[in-house]
Amino acid sequence: MSSVLQLKNVHKAFAGVPALAGIDASLANDTYVSLLGPSGSGKTTLLRVIAGFEQPDSGEILFSGRRIDGVPPHERGIGFVFQNFALFPHLSVAENIAFGLTNRAVDPVTDAKVVAGRVRDIIGLVGLSGLEDRATTQISGGQKQRVALARTLVTEPSMVLLDEPLGALDANLRMRMRGELRTIRERCGVTFLHVTGSETEALAMGDTVLVLDAGRIAQSTDADTLYSRPASADVARFLNCYNIFPGAVSGDAFASPVGALALGGVKQTSGNPAYAIRYDRVAIRPTDAATADDEVRIEASFVASEYSGAAINSFFTLDDGRVFEVETHLSHAAPATYEEKGRYALVWKREDALVFV
Amino acid sequence: MTMAATSHDTPVETAERPTRKQPDRTFWLLAPGALWMLLFLVAPILMMVYVSFWTQTTFKIEPTLTLKSWITFFTSDTYLGALWTTVRIWLIVLVSTLLVGYPAALFVGLFVKNKTLSTALLVLCVIPFWTSFLIRVLAWRPMLGKEGAINMILMKIGVITQPIEVLLFSELSVIIGMTQIYCVFMVGPIAFMLGRIDPSVIEAAQDLGAGFWRIFRTIILPLSMPGVVVGAIFVSVMVLGEFATSAALSGRKVNLLGNIIVTQVGSLKWAFAAVAGVVLTILMGAVVAALLRVVDLRKEL
Repeated sequence: MSSVLQLKNVHKAFAGVPALAGIDASLANDTYVSLLGPSGSGKTTLLRVIAGFEQPDSGEILFSGRRIDGVPPHERGIGFVFQNFALFPHLSVAENIAFGLTNRAVDPVTDAKVVAGRVRDIIGLVGLSGLEDRATTQISGGQKQRVALARTLVTEPSMVLLDEPLGALDANLRMRMRGELRTIRERCGVTFLHVTGSETEALAMGDTVLVLDAGRIAQSTDADTLYSRPASADVARFLNCYNIFPGAVSGDAFASPVGALALGGVKQTSGNPAYAIRYDRVAIRPTDAATADDEVRIEASFVASEYSGAAINSFFTLDDGRVFEVETHLSHAAPATYEEKGRYALVWKREDALVFV
Repeated sequence: MTMAATSHDTPVETAERPTRKQPDRTFWLLAPGALWMLLFLVAPILMMVYVSFWTQTTFKIEPTLTLKSWITFFTSDTYLGALWTTVRIWLIVLVSTLLVGYPAALFVGLFVKNKTLSTALLVLCVIPFWTSFLIRVLAWRPMLGKEGAINMILMKIGVITQPIEVLLFSELSVIIGMTQIYCVFMVGPIAFMLGRIDPSVIEAAQDLGAGFWRIFRTIILPLSMPGVVVGAIFVSVMVLGEFATSAALSGRKVNLLGNIIVTQVGSLKWAFAAVAGVVLTILMGAVVAALLRVVDLRKEL
């Protein structure tokens, strides 16, 4: 697949504080890309640099093979959907959508019939039929989201940037819009770059997920690989599904604050040595239960558990005070009850652990 | 405006919360304002209308009703001339305060991103008001006069050889003085409305491909219209009632309705003064009503 957007060593600092510290990325044509990063990782800055609202300090941005750093936003042909939608408050739904077609500096559409036709098509595509003449104050959050998207899509951009597009919606609507955004994108055939701070959203939406950490792309891969093989302990931490121990490899074990953990799983090279085990790969057993040869065992005290329907998350404190989380799926077993402050053995297979060296 | 809004909102409030105390409180909250308006606004206006029909002789005025003062007003070139001058100066000052004020407001309200700085700049606009009105007006004399600062500078740098006499004691000087004094009333409301525009709305328009002038015409200008209308109402009401600036800067060459009233009251011609007053009041009412038609302020603010 050809790439629509390429970033080469892009740097940007605000008052000496680096926000982007050498971004290298390549976004494929006709895909849904999600950009995951904790707050302050530079997500919004990266998006604004791509859109042209901010100028990079150094580096190159290539869009369809053409260098666009230095080109003003209105000549880039990149759509931007704002977190707060940024609809024009004095214009109706249809007028908001038609704005780009009639007012753009490059190749504006002057024929009112053509404008009306294209606005009607896009209103049908995003599911806003019947609301054309409403004021933007008279529609719901989900409808505003659709207007914001339609307003951008009608100009036929080669790429759409979405800045936390679901952040302003309630949970129920957010789930529904996830599916709709993907469907709308498939129908238009353009690349969406969706910025989010939610790992579930990033994994659910993206054909490709980019993880941004401290102004750098920490990993760029598909959702499955990202979830099961995060490239570093930091990436694993954002995914919010790994227990992570610092320490170092010594011999055939990983020396961690809670003792030596036998090696056996995948070893990956990253700057920061760490040992990571997924919440749902851990079994909770009584302390006197037997341990197999290929298993790793630590002991901990039970604190509390949190029931979330399909799974239950149990929290333990290790001997060094660290919190350890275990996720047990309830599809095959009824939830077990654990005694508060009771000692339990936490056991996992050696090969399930990720070791970063 | 305040009165209209209050009386409009009250029934809704009562309907939602039908407590026994509500109408009572509404009455007491409204009473002082209503009483004040009745005694010092409505009653004097009615009195003014009444007096305009009294019989005026050279030395005294009698409450015998007659149309004489009205006929004199509308057949005299002096009075009709003053009415026309008032309207002309008002329009010119309105346009010039808008032309000078809008760009300033655009800078303060939109281009200055720092809130503290934009507040500081607005305070700078108000600094001339720390001196008295009369001083502000009279300060234009050494500026515009035949041997004033502007003529001196222009002659020194050789742009002109003879001083420009039209600068002072002319309609031009009245317009310059009024524009300077009333401009800030235009800048304030417009800067306020511009400051309320969400910056991402302008970025969205940029992203959709619109250049600066397009965005100005289609987004910024319409969103700032309520500010323009409020500013225009301030400026209009004050300029239409003006007499001091024209008295101080025109050398009695420019007679506004306000100046007519002052002269007539000075010579105890109460009936003529009342006619001019009624005409001025109707004019102001019409101007404000027309301006309110431009934008539905209650919806926009």
